Amino acid sequence: MSAVTLPNQPAAPARQSWIQARFGSDFRELLIGAILIAATGLIPDIANSSYWTHAFELVNIFIIASICQNLLLVDAGQTSFGMGAIFGLAGYGAAIANTMHGVSYTWSIVLGLLASLAGGVLFALPALRVQHFYLGFVTLSAAVVLPELAMAFNTYTNGIIGISLQFDEMHKRTIFGMISPLSLVVVVVTIAVLVIHALIHRSLLGRRMRIAAESPEAAQALGVSPGMMRFIAFLVAGVGTGIAGVIYPVIVGFVGPTSFSLDISILFFFAVIVGGRGTLLGPIIGVWILYLLPNILLAEFVNWRLIAYGVAALLIMILMPDGIVGGFNNWRRKKRSAGQRLDLNVAAVLGTQQGAPAEHAPKSDQVLVEVKQGRKTFGKVVAVDNADLVVKVGEIHGLVGANGSGKTSLLNVLSGFSRLDAGSLHVDGVDITRLSPHRIARLGIGRTFQTPRIFGNMSLWENIQIGRDARFSGSKTPIPEASVEMLRQTLGEGSPDWVPHGQRRLLEVMRVALQESKLLLLDEPAAGLSPEERKQFGALLRQLRDQYGKTFVLVEHDLDLVWGVADRITVMDAGRIVASGTPEEVAKDPAVRHMFIESSHA
Amino acid sequence: MIEELGIIFVRGVGLGAIFTLIALSFNVVQSSSGILNFAQGNMFVLGGFIAFMISAQGDPSRLMWFAILPVAGIAIALLLTFQGWVTLLPLRFSTQQNSWIITTMAASTIIGAVMLLLKGPWAQTASAPFEPFNIFGTRTPAPYIMAMIACVVWYVVLRWFLTKTLTGLAISALSQDLEAARAAGLKVRRLQLIAFAISGLVIGTAGYIVAPIISIAADTGIKYVLNGFIASVVGGMGSDIGAMVGGPLVGVLTMFAIYEFGGHFQNVVSLLVLVLVLMFVPEGLFGRARARRV
Repeated sequence: MSAVTLPNQPAAPARQSWIQARFGSDFRELLIGAILIAATGLIPDIANSSYWTHAFELVNIFIIASICQNLLLVDAGQTSFGMGAIFGLAGYGAAIANTMHGVSYTWSIVLGLLASLAGGVLFALPALRVQHFYLGFVTLSAAVVLPELAMAFNTYTNGIIGISLQFDEMHKRTIFGMISPLSLVVVVVTIAVLVIHALIHRSLLGRRMRIAAESPEAAQALGVSPGMMRFIAFLVAGVGTGIAGVIYPVIVGFVGPTSFSLDISILFFFAVIVGGRGTLLGPIIGVWILYLLPNILLAEFVNWRLIAYGVAALLIMILMPDGIVGGFNNWRRKKRSAGQRLDLNVAAVLGTQQGAPAEHAPKSDQVLVEVKQGRKTFGKVVAVDNADLVVKVGEIHGLVGANGSGKTSLLNVLSGFSRLDAGSLHVDGVDITRLSPHRIARLGIGRTFQTPRIFGNMSLWENIQIGRDARFSGSKTPIPEASVEMLRQTLGEGSPDWVPHGQRRLLEVMRVALQESKLLLLDEPAAGLSPEERKQFGALLRQLRDQYGKTFVLVEHDLDLVWGVADRITVMDAGRIVASGTPEEVAKDPAVRHMFIESSHA
Repeated sequence: MIEELGIIFVRGVGLGAIFTLIALSFNVVQSSSGILNFAQGNMFVLGGFIAFMISAQGDPSRLMWFAILPVAGIAIALLLTFQGWVTLLPLRFSTQQNSWIITTMAASTIIGAVMLLLKGPWAQTASAPFEPFNIFGTRTPAPYIMAMIACVVWYVVLRWFLTKTLTGLAISALSQDLEAARAAGLKVRRLQLIAFAISGLVIGTAGYIVAPIISIAADTGIKYVLNGFIASVVGGMGSDIGAMVGGPLVGVLTMFAIYEFGGHFQNVVSLLVLVLVLMFVPEGLFGRARARRV
């Protein structure tokens, strides 16, 4: 078993190659995928087999749609059973423009893409309100409705007869005498979509989408609006699927209601599941298994195709829920990292000196947070009852009280997850009573949650990087670049599974520290920490306050910790503020003594 | 005009009764395991299939019809218990708690595909030994009225079962707090399977009863599960009284849409209703608004 400890001194940062910076460990999968697509797309053409050329052209555009489904399902967490409808919208849009209105196909492509974009927007709207199976049902309805609409509006769509198109030039093997323009276009576009997916996955947008998918409230605390992320995801997936949709008529030469039945939507979804959700190669393998295999092996029994989808998906979910490529990746990862552990030494990372006397920053009287007569009710329950709270700049403010006293409700109000029914909330003079949580986060207010929101679908470094992504720009004492770079090198691509619970808490604090917020709201941060870890934690808070001038509001049950670290303490009971002042004052307050009977934990 | 509205109303409520039955069968499973079974629509069609198989031998007598009714219910109940077991299997081991969305969709696809293979894409018909009723001067086929009766019967039975019998109470407990139920010693998996079986009884008998008025084909299942879902959403997911109200509401709206715009737009109108309800009243008429996690 190997343990990795962060060194005390930041090392000189190593230069990353451009490819490593953009793609990291995904590069190998990307390369394999590109080779597979190019090989299957071009070799049949070179070998002059028109059957296989046609088959693989279709396979590759289905792969495009599945890649978009993968992005939508895994990166953005949106369950959509209706991508076939968007595929159809694009295909119909292009075909109608080209055939029935005489528009050149180049412009028809644009119109088709616009149609798919509109489809994406239409799907995004319910996604703002509902998720998971509700969203699945809504999108499923759309997939069912589209062919019916195509038949109903038969003056525009030619009804059941469909629209025929001619693209002879695209199918002739004119390039180098061996390859048709269509094959080349399909291969290039499919590889491009694969590369774009990899780029998005690793980009700022991709990270934001993933945290919004896994934990909307943590995302909001990091300044990300989950609604906006879902909207963008549907737009991107919509246009991507539309790209596949506008190429479809060129390959098949025909567009009709039966071309875009529910089967296609199911294929795209199940291809992602069977191939491996979240993996780059998953959609490729998925489409091969679900579409190619039945069409080759059971060519006469086309109706067995649907059974194949169902049975394959069922078996995969029971035996290998991460899909074929995912299962393979898991097996490789287990072999590689058996027994890896990580020990985090947070203080060293933040560049604070070990052993040097902590400089005590002069206490300021400037008010940072002010709650005036705040009142919050949930039905008949009064969670916060006319509370007045003042938090000064650069202080550690403890908020204590029994369960149900309203301290977490008050913290929720401060971070914007709850809105006051009456009263006001000002931070740094700005009235933030009515702001949404992600806007409040962007004003320089960070927050941790009772259970550490460490994202399993991201590496250790990415978990902290999202804090840096949400960096508050007005910070006066930023964390040195070298420390951040050293963090990145040490944590690297490690998995959060390597870190035990107590250290996950520290990881979350590191993330919030990198956010460089001026105000940090910590919700029961000591929960799950051993006594030694609690001492380290207290020291960390003091160092962050002294060295970086941060202000803390700490909701905590561990009174020893609070009394040891806080500059001022507020005690709550049944929604009311019972006492507020320095630790000594509060300890002597008769109203407070009445509540706590000389025990060290609330 | 009044006559037409009358017909729309009666048929709408009858059709709505079908949606209510589907919604009732949703509720039992959804409240005990959080699973919304996509395959319910195809199970419904399978119930109708059993009626078709009986009629294919020649028109059944009333005695015969009533005798096979429970058989249909039990057959579908057994099938649903098996499907439930398969669906619950991955939930035991993996952290992927949403696998049921995929496995129920897969089950629905498989059933539909089997029907397609056995019978092709054409609809089968079934007949039942009951004369049409005369309402508002026109003949309304008996299954519409029988669906309404079945609705009320099942509602009463389910309410009695879930509140007055020990097993039913245990299943209700699952819907309120799964972990507490497990900690209290309830055999959670067994109860969840019983819930699947009950939903099978409801949906199997429903399909059998309304077989003459539905198209027993491979692709109707999806449409019924969608409409049943819409009825659930309108009434409030998990609420039986909501299902009783939501079903007829959606049924009448659908009938009206067919009358006004033609059969092609039936599903478009349903989709619009669904989206509007989800956007503005996502918890439905009788449902509980869900809390947000912080």
